[in-house]
Amino acid sequence: MRATRLAPLALTLLLALGLTACGDDSTTEPEAGTSETPSATSSPTESTSEGESASPDDSTQSPEPSRPTIEITFDGDTVDPNGERVEVPMGEEIDLVITADRPGELHVHSTPEQEVAYEAGTSTHSLVIDQPGVVEVESHDPALVVVQLEVR
Amino acid sequence: MGGNPTGDLLAHGIGGAKDLPIPLELAIAGAVAALVVSFTVLAVAWRSPRYDAATSGRPAPAWLDRLTSSTPWRVVLRAVGFAFFLYVAAAAVFGQDTLVNPFLGVFYVLLWVGLVPASVLLGPVWKALSPSRTINAVLARVSGTDPEVGMYAYPERLGYWPAAVGLYAFVWLELVYPHSTEIGPVRLWCAVYLGVMLIGGALFGNRFFERADPFEVYSSLVAKLSVWGHRDGRLVLRSPLANLDTVPVAPGLVGVVAVLFGSTAYDSFKEASPWVRFVQTTSIPSGLIDNVALLVFCVGVGVIFAAGAMATGVGPGTRRSTLPDLFAHSIVPIIVGYIIAHYLTYLVEYGQTTLVQLSDPFSRGDDYLGTADLAVNYWLSFHPDFLARLKVGAVVVGHVLGVIAAHDRAVRILPRRHQLTGQLSLLVAMVFFTVGGLYLLFAA
Repeated sequence: MRATRLAPLALTLLLALGLTACGDDSTTEPEAGTSETPSATSSPTESTSEGESASPDDSTQSPEPSRPTIEITFDGDTVDPNGERVEVPMGEEIDLVITADRPGELHVHSTPEQEVAYEAGTSTHSLVIDQPGVVEVESHDPALVVVQLEVR
Repeated sequence: MGGNPTGDLLAHGIGGAKDLPIPLELAIAGAVAALVVSFTVLAVAWRSPRYDAATSGRPAPAWLDRLTSSTPWRVVLRAVGFAFFLYVAAAAVFGQDTLVNPFLGVFYVLLWVGLVPASVLLGPVWKALSPSRTINAVLARVSGTDPEVGMYAYPERLGYWPAAVGLYAFVWLELVYPHSTEIGPVRLWCAVYLGVMLIGGALFGNRFFERADPFEVYSSLVAKLSVWGHRDGRLVLRSPLANLDTVPVAPGLVGVVAVLFGSTAYDSFKEASPWVRFVQTTSIPSGLIDNVALLVFCVGVGVIFAAGAMATGVGPGTRRSTLPDLFAHSIVPIIVGYIIAHYLTYLVEYGQTTLVQLSDPFSRGDDYLGTADLAVNYWLSFHPDFLARLKVGAVVVGHVLGVIAAHDRAVRILPRRHQLTGQLSLLVAMVFFTVGGLYLLFAA
């Protein structure tokens, strides 16, 4: 008889859980930067790479300033950003502005996986991720997680 | 290892994108629900034990009992299991060392994760399919001995500890070892596993597999949440809670559940951005950090659980040190709920990928099984809100079942005046696991 009292109670709680869960989606976590200004842009090399990245095909950048850009700087065995989480929109082009002291490759662990090969110096690469999830972008030399893209 | 610029592959598991974190409100709602249910169970649930292995369960239909206990049925299952084992072993030995070799997907996804839903639905599947049991049975038949008994009796005080060690060896390979996605090391792990199983089976008979085969112990433990049970040799249908109460208690059971829960929590934790940043900036070698962290998670879960179970008054006939193993079964639903939350997308989506890869075991463009052209369905990944609710629901349901299982065990074995207060510390440990799991789903 005790058991019969327990079952509806547990059910009610689960229903309540389902109801409170209906209003989500609007969550913004404090540590995840907005898609327009990812925390990666706070890198010290921002100003220099910004100037150089204007040279590639992106002449439309001024009328469309909302295109998300992630600045990546390799220097010896270190990379900046260093495993930070950045929120990016799904299905839209993201610019990776890579400044490196030697050529290399980034592995983008999306589904399906993608690779970005870069040269020494500063170069801009566009990336599109078509599926929601957390995507790790890794470099293999040095072997580090560069950034975790939170794709929504 | 990870920090030096040797160009080595990073320890990135198989599979692409990970799940998005669950929304904060949902994590809080789940935590509150778990908390409220816990204390409600304590306050209003029954005061005399309800579950008894000797009487619980309704007899299954006679034809089903006859079928599942018949020799042809068992032989067919063994043959199917062994054929699949040989097929995958061929891919492991003759296939190419690439990520599309189905061996990796079968080992890490179909076996390790698929074992859980298969056992919850169908009962102890690994026991029925296990290639080591099959080889042991064939060898026994050839030599005219009984596979049930070996040369020696299995030392009962070892209990489940060998399985706990084996499970730890698996999660170490999967989560810590930097070359976990290369065929060679995984194949070596499997060969050592099979060798140990065959020697153990010859020495101690089938009892060894029941206590020491990590996959069989895991599968048979989770199968106690299914409706399928046996009483006096007959197939019976039980409620999952009544079935869970029939988990055979032996030393080391707490070690098994600690490795299972601790390693899954560590898997969530190691993806968290602050942890990644810490590992990549500290001067401590990352191989050392990963090893220590996995050990801390597993031992930590075991210690917290054991402390929670032991912090009670006991009757004159009960030794306090036996309590953690006596209560360890109650963590199984919490493990299953968290495994569902943590691995569901991985199982559904990478499981399909593995099915596609299985048609081409040697990476030559073959289509042996006709699955090579299947398109993987990513519906789950595209519905993160639904997925998040499902995950929190699984964690909370697992928690509720765990609390009820622990309550029933407490009213059976604790003296009457300690039955309520004696449960409090264990309840706190369970709430900690559930809230911690939800936090990791939110933050990692």
